[in-house]
Amino acid sequence: MNALLLQGQSQAYTLLEELQEPPEVSAVRRAEPDEIAREELLLRKLGPKGWGRVHHFRNYYASGWGENGHALSPKALDAFFRFVEVVEFPADKASPSVFLTDRGGIELCWENRAGESVQVEFTASGVECYQAASDREGLAAFEDLEQLSRQLSS
Amino acid sequence: MPLASGEDVVRAVCTDKWDGERLSPSLFVGQNISVSRLAITPLADHWDLFRQYVEDPPERRLELIAQIQVGRLQSIGKARNPPVALTVEARPEEWNPAHAEIPQRITRGLANKILPALQRHFLPPHHRQA
Repeated sequence: MNALLLQGQSQAYTLLEELQEPPEVSAVRRAEPDEIAREELLLRKLGPKGWGRVHHFRNYYASGWGENGHALSPKALDAFFRFVEVVEFPADKASPSVFLTDRGGIELCWENRAGESVQVEFTASGVECYQAASDREGLAAFEDLEQLSRQLSS
Repeated sequence: MPLASGEDVVRAVCTDKWDGERLSPSLFVGQNISVSRLAITPLADHWDLFRQYVEDPPERRLELIAQIQVGRLQSIGKARNPPVALTVEARPEEWNPAHAEIPQRITRGLANKILPALQRHFLPPHHRQA
């Protein structure tokens, strides 16, 4: 960026060559302060496949994908991270699956210790969950995320 | 016009709804779910159709085609408490004359009953991309 701004101006000083940054490097998106911690969290809880899919959904699904799908909602993603931080998945079962929903939500599916399906979808406005054991579905507010994650932990 | 209960319909499943292990229930959650009629376009021709108009590479790739008979779909809806009267309506489109829709709202609970009833067709080897 600095290199571009200084072009065409009289050079009051010259940046040492070893300190200069090529424009293509400075254009790379800087990581958020907690982004590395979040990436590690995903790898630990969801495994490489889950981590890769979240990365893919965040970066490559623009608004209008599929049948007029919405881009992943930042609020939904934030709620998803907060949930994943607290929830415990059974160690002896397959890693949870991650899906992108048409309304820009992110969906987590896994099997609890009894082998019954548990699903949670995080949207821009709240959380929708389903437990196959009781065939019950419900809605939760973002404020209740911690409680929900403890409740669904196997 | 509602389709006869003996007709079979298919739905494209792309990368966003299939991770190689599980099928996303959100594939059937919502209203006006798009399907396609095998009575109009045979399964073999749906691969090309979906690859041309549904998948959107590189991010969204066609992974499989899910098939169900209209009558089976209706009996799953009827078995819910309270029962849901599902229909499939023909809604031909320019890109797909076989296009049809399920106009009723399908909840996550109902979608979870539909998923196990789907017959899954995986991409034939000659359709795989290099």
